[in-house]
Amino acid sequence: MLWLLIGPGVLVMLGENDGPSMLSYAATGARFGIGFFLPFVVLTFCMACVVQEMTVRLGAATHRGHAELIFDRFGPFWGWFSMADLMVGNFLTLVTEFIAIRAGLGFFGVRPAVAVLGALCVLFVALMTHRYWTWERITLGAAMFNLVFVPVALLSHPHWGAVSRALFTWKPLPGGLNQETVLILLADIGATVTPWMLFFQQSAIADKGLTTRDIRFGRFDTVLGAALATLAAAATILATAPLFTHHMTAANFEAAEFAQALQPFVGRWGSALFALGIFEAGMVAAVTISTSSAYAFGEVARRPHSLNLPFKQGKSFYLVLLAEAAAAAGLVLIPGIPLVYIVLLVNVIAVLAMPPALLFLYMLVNDREIMGELVSPIWANMLALGVVIVLIGAGLLFGVSVIAPNALAALGGR
Amino acid sequence: MKKEFDHGTAADVSREDLDAVMTSLEPDQLSFEKAKHHCPRRKLTGVEMLLFWALRIYLVFMFGVVIYQVWTGAR
Repeated sequence: MLWLLIGPGVLVMLGENDGPSMLSYAATGARFGIGFFLPFVVLTFCMACVVQEMTVRLGAATHRGHAELIFDRFGPFWGWFSMADLMVGNFLTLVTEFIAIRAGLGFFGVRPAVAVLGALCVLFVALMTHRYWTWERITLGAAMFNLVFVPVALLSHPHWGAVSRALFTWKPLPGGLNQETVLILLADIGATVTPWMLFFQQSAIADKGLTTRDIRFGRFDTVLGAALATLAAAATILATAPLFTHHMTAANFEAAEFAQALQPFVGRWGSALFALGIFEAGMVAAVTISTSSAYAFGEVARRPHSLNLPFKQGKSFYLVLLAEAAAAAGLVLIPGIPLVYIVLLVNVIAVLAMPPALLFLYMLVNDREIMGELVSPIWANMLALGVVIVLIGAGLLFGVSVIAPNALAALGGR
Repeated sequence: MKKEFDHGTAADVSREDLDAVMTSLEPDQLSFEKAKHHCPRRKLTGVEMLLFWALRIYLVFMFGVVIYQVWTGAR
């Protein structure tokens, strides 16, 4: 039964361990080591669990996707606002997924155009199953490959005493607060909680047909996904931490360069696995994020929107999905793009877009008229409020770091 | 008793038939479940409107900050 019901939670969490996320974790390990960021990443996944659990209840109780529910309950004005946030965020994220695909395969000498076109073909084949169940199992299998970062971390021979000390003592932020650390902080938060996850998991739960009786399985699915994703994220930080301990400058690394720089520490196989992991992270997320956009578009445009539909019946659903992916793929082929900078900024944008999305979610999940007895208990609301405060605080800190970097000194920075 | 319909054995049901049944069944099941859970539009209170607009302004402002950072970075 559990095997039948797991899926959306694991998919959304491993899908969020996407190209930009893995590159953010790699940059984190290489620039700051494990002391502060290992427990920080565990905390961000706890935040993701709190948020995604709400979408499980909402999807199972209403049998509606997130965008559709916002339209029905708050009207088209706010519905289109949230839709625009999602579409812009998803498109920018998709661009970075194709950057990861291009960079990961670049390590093996694959030309950018071939890598990007190949990825589009994989996306197309995954859709042609015309069955949510088959699509989910294929994507789930591919998402599990995210754990490839675990053997890479083991190959880097981490000092387990230092790892457990980092996890249980939470060292201060290395270098204090400055523009660079604030950017990495936000990028790591944006690597775990983003608006598309809300839309995707709720729509997938509705598409899969989960009911209120299945909520406990949905919760387990979400926690399992978060645990697996935390493992992969921590492994990535551990894998690149030798670059920090050996004082190697990683500020201007592009994705494939991380893999090349790691070669002395993890060997040829370790570097190859790292590059494959970056490719896989981009590929799985390209599938899930473009699907999330297509679901949302179908819901608000009142067009058929399901992975169970044949192409003819779900033409607009599949066309939106493929057109968005193709446009993002095309942009990546522009030569001379500063890859890591774009990747970090996209994660920052995800954090900034999260509070308005969370307000919709918070109001819907506390709406007794549609949720009945499944409204959030007080403790869940307190946790959700904590997540919103952390996200707004992080966003404002980023604003201060950009507009008045010297003011960070007053907050203990340098 | 005369048999009215020949249902055939399980082996007679082709994969195509099953696919056709599933394709027509799943959207119906979904719309049936949705119909049972009516979600009418609700009126927002003043505080809710204020929160929505405050977060909208926050988002626009922060996007401006991101654009400013990209602009200064490019310079």
